Amino acid sequence: MNSLLEQAPLLAPLALGILAVWMLLPREGNRAWIIAGLCGVSALLWLTKNFLPPTDNVVQTGMFYAFAAGAVLSGVMMITESNPVYAALWFAMVTLSVCGLFLINAAPFLAATTVIVYAGAIVVTFLFVIMLAQQGGATGYDRKAFQPTLASIAGFMLLACLMFTLQEFGGKAIAVEEGEDPRMPRPQFILPPATVMANPLSQPMPRKDKPDQNDLGTLQGVGRSLFGDYLFAVELAGTVLLIATIGTIALAPRRSQGTL
Amino acid sequence: MTAQLESQLVVGAILFVLGAIGFLTRRNLILMMLSAEMMLHGVAVNLTAFGRYHGNASGQVFTIFVLTIAACEAGLALALILGLYQRRKSLDVQLWGNLGEPDLPQMSTEEGGRFAPQHPADMPILTPAGRMPNSPVVPSNTKI
Amino acid sequence: MVSWLNDNVLWLIPAAPLLACLWIVVAGQFLRREKAHQPVVLGLIISWLCALYLLFSVVPSTFEHTAEHADEHAAEVKDVHHEERHAAKGGAVTYYVYDWFSVRGGNEQPTTMTEDQARADAGGMHVRVELRADAMSALMLVMVTTVSLLVAIFASGYMHGDPGYPRFFGALSLFVFSMCMLVLASNFLLLFVFWEAVGLCSYLLIGFWFHKPSAAAAAKKAFVVNRIGDFGLILGIFMIWTTFGTLEFSQIFADPTLIAQVAIAQPEIFTTICLLLFIGAVGKSAQFPLHVWLPDAMEGPTPVSALIHAATMVTAGVYLVARCAPLFMHSPFALQIVAGIGAATALIAAITALTQNDLKRVLAYSTVSQLGYMFMSLGAAGADPEHLMQPAVTYAMFHMFTHAFFKAVLFLSAGSVMHAMGDVIDMRRFSGLRTALPITWITFLAGALALAGFPLLSGFWSKDEILAVLHMAAQSKEHGTYYTVILGVALLTALMTAFYTFRAYLLTFHGPEVFPPEAGHHPHDAPPAMAIPLYILAAAALLIGLATGPTHLYGHYLHHTPGMPSAPAHGPDWLMMMLSTILAIGGIAGAHLVYGSHRGAAGVKDNASPLQKFSFNGLYLDELYIALVVKPLRSLAEVCEMFDRMVIDQIVDGVALIPGIVGSILRPIQNGLVQHYAFVMLLGLAAGMVWMLQSLTGSP
Repeated sequence: MNSLLEQAPLLAPLALGILAVWMLLPREGNRAWIIAGLCGVSALLWLTKNFLPPTDNVVQTGMFYAFAAGAVLSGVMMITESNPVYAALWFAMVTLSVCGLFLINAAPFLAATTVIVYAGAIVVTFLFVIMLAQQGGATGYDRKAFQPTLASIAGFMLLACLMFTLQEFGGKAIAVEEGEDPRMPRPQFILPPATVMANPLSQPMPRKDKPDQNDLGTLQGVGRSLFGDYLFAVELAGTVLLIATIGTIALAPRRSQGTL
Repeated sequence: MTAQLESQLVVGAILFVLGAIGFLTRRNLILMMLSAEMMLHGVAVNLTAFGRYHGNASGQVFTIFVLTIAACEAGLALALILGLYQRRKSLDVQLWGNLGEPDLPQMSTEEGGRFAPQHPADMPILTPAGRMPNSPVVPSNTKI
Repeated sequence: MVSWLNDNVLWLIPAAPLLACLWIVVAGQFLRREKAHQPVVLGLIISWLCALYLLFSVVPSTFEHTAEHADEHAAEVKDVHHEERHAAKGGAVTYYVYDWFSVRGGNEQPTTMTEDQARADAGGMHVRVELRADAMSALMLVMVTTVSLLVAIFASGYMHGDPGYPRFFGALSLFVFSMCMLVLASNFLLLFVFWEAVGLCSYLLIGFWFHKPSAAAAAKKAFVVNRIGDFGLILGIFMIWTTFGTLEFSQIFADPTLIAQVAIAQPEIFTTICLLLFIGAVGKSAQFPLHVWLPDAMEGPTPVSALIHAATMVTAGVYLVARCAPLFMHSPFALQIVAGIGAATALIAAITALTQNDLKRVLAYSTVSQLGYMFMSLGAAGADPEHLMQPAVTYAMFHMFTHAFFKAVLFLSAGSVMHAMGDVIDMRRFSGLRTALPITWITFLAGALALAGFPLLSGFWSKDEILAVLHMAAQSKEHGTYYTVILGVALLTALMTAFYTFRAYLLTFHGPEVFPPEAGHHPHDAPPAMAIPLYILAAAALLIGLATGPTHLYGHYLHHTPGMPSAPAHGPDWLMMMLSTILAIGGIAGAHLVYGSHRGAAGVKDNASPLQKFSFNGLYLDELYIALVVKPLRSLAEVCEMFDRMVIDQIVDGVALIPGIVGSILRPIQNGLVQHYAFVMLLGLAAGMVWMLQSLTGSP
């Protein structure tokens, strides 16, 4: 119990956030929007204070805060929205925010692809299906979540584990703190870049058009890595796609069985 | 950079857990699928963040694979969802509890909850292990 | 040829019927079903010839010598000779088959032991499967194989057309095999094995018509009652092993002085051994109080009755006691018990036989009665074991020998009557068969006269000698009164034997001619396959006693058995001879007086008076056993059954409930909802992570 109390700065914002999600999950009767919103926002701020420190680069920090907040809030809205059409749109928002994060992570090509594939293809297809199947908007089963309490507890446990891992074994812990026993070095999963042996073709190279920049995240860099280091994986992924295509055609309802 | 990485990892974890909660609570088949996609997004954020941190393209390539698998998954899931919808004219996942033990109390009260399994009259009824069959499995015209 | 026979005759005797049995088991069920008797008869002929050869080869040189001089001098000479033979060869031929099992007693023994070492290994147990024949075995074997052969030939006609024809002959040859092995066993353990095998075969044959509930019940009764006796026997064998340290006949009976020492050192244990062995004999030889199975054994086919009663099964008990005579000799008390039981059996069975309406049951009770005679004879030695043991054993074995022949002919001709009368055996339903069944009539009359002890016939000689030895016992000083009573019982039984035998004979063959409707219009007499054995046995019943009794042929041959106590011969007992003649003729005359002019089948009165009912129901012994043994046991069984159902079953059911309870706790997980499954998965993932983090951080 002591150890749990010691972790209160970590666990409290998480609990608050999960409580907010729990309150927002679809249920019979009115949802406490305001309280939940307050809880959620305070949880996010608390988390930001603890885990998301601003960096020197103001633009980058601002973008990161914006996209991260957009992704998390859109995600919350998606899983709490009872109307599936709106939920799908919120999912599109999540995707867009995640693409923003990709941009921060120097992956413009990936960001573009994700927008095209998810927002352009998957979300739209899902929206078609939803609109065909549920023209009346939210139905009974959309308005009532399945065992929200249990799901929230499980989610809390999972999130707490993840955050605890980050806190204990993340970069912050590399520096040995005062009073810690140096004889028991903790395993660290985030290793300094120098010790990582990356695949050779995945390493960035100078861009041809702009020799002062490297090609990390550009089409050229990603393509070299994809078809160089990961050629067999690409072939495998292609096979999986083919199989999935065949399977989808086989599974899809026949015309003789009627359409939606 | 380290702090930047950690921040991104936190976002990825939150997205993952939100997706999991959505998968567990939403009863609409399509929203369940979307929640699963959101979990994949959380992973993708992690991967690109690590890729950026290590300064190579592997993370992005992994994300491309995740994208590929997500596309496959989406296609198959849509086909299945359509098939299921044709049977019951509903997207409620709770209607599909046929593999459960038959005599359990119903978890869901709304819209009849799980369907009671309806067997064609001439089909043999599989009995749960160790229990006496409720209806005669052997056709009545055969002598025991 | 002769030397080959000398070596191999022993194993040929049991092997021939065993091979016949195997043939029937393996192939006879399918091939030549109607000719299933052929391999059996062939095997029994081989056995019989080998037994005859054995008879002349076991005691080759001394036999004629002693036969000529049947007096005291000859007995002395024979004793001397006997000792020499004993020293040289043990007086027996053996054929070693294999080591059955070997348990070493001493600590530092070599792994492989010679025979001598094995004998010296105190505390160990070394049992060899070995055939051993001496004079007594040879005589038994000749009797067993002769009667079995004739019965098998008879059965080939009698059982013709039965659906279980091959099965019958298979069991029959197995029966003969077991009996031969019992007689040839060289140690107590082997004897016990085949003692049980004989019981098994009797079960198979008595229950041959197993679809008949009465036959199945009779087979079960025979088996269960025999078990009681077998229990005593195995206990006796255990005690012999603890006392003597070995189970080999040749070692136990080798040294009379050793037995005497043991008997003096531990008289109580010694008497207990004898009594336990006798309990085994009581069960197998149907002595009071375990005689109740034998009359019920009539449910089997008639040839089986003949076989059981005459040759194979019931003689085993007498053989056992006779074989163990060197032991019994030192326990006069046990011998007196033997005599008392024999007398009681003889009297009870004779009284019961007086009023039976079933021809075969009359004969069955007469068998019990005659077996009682044999045990009386054996027990007579209790008055003065030193001098009386040898004649006692001799005359018991001799009576068994003659009895085998005349009881076989009686049973087989009763079977012939059944055959002709359409399986009717109730004497009230037929009479006057003399003209219709002349062969059967003649042979039955021969057997009946022999059984009744008519002068100069087989039964006369053997019974007379038993009376003589009892008379001698009655003259002893110590136990004279006891044996006088037994002698009186024996005389009374002799009178009753003659009476009931001729009652049965007269009711069946005399009076107006009456057939039951089952017989059809013209009852046919025995066909040749049945008639020839009948003639042979009838001739034997008439003459074999005369041939071997007064000439002392049998007695002197038997004296060559190693270990047999020796005693001076004695002359014929004229008083007893006269008495038994008078009793036999008196009994016959009495039967003639009462039943001679009976008015046919309907004329036989039902058993109305209480005394007759008492006799008819076998002194109500069956009822007594049911009340005293069966019913309490059944109540006990019911209590046990209740206990089983109320306690044991409940415990088992309770244990079986545990998985159900655990399952009902875990079962809600299996509710078919995919989200629920996902929830459990997630929980498991979280739990796994918690555990991993705990082990990584080293703190809870």
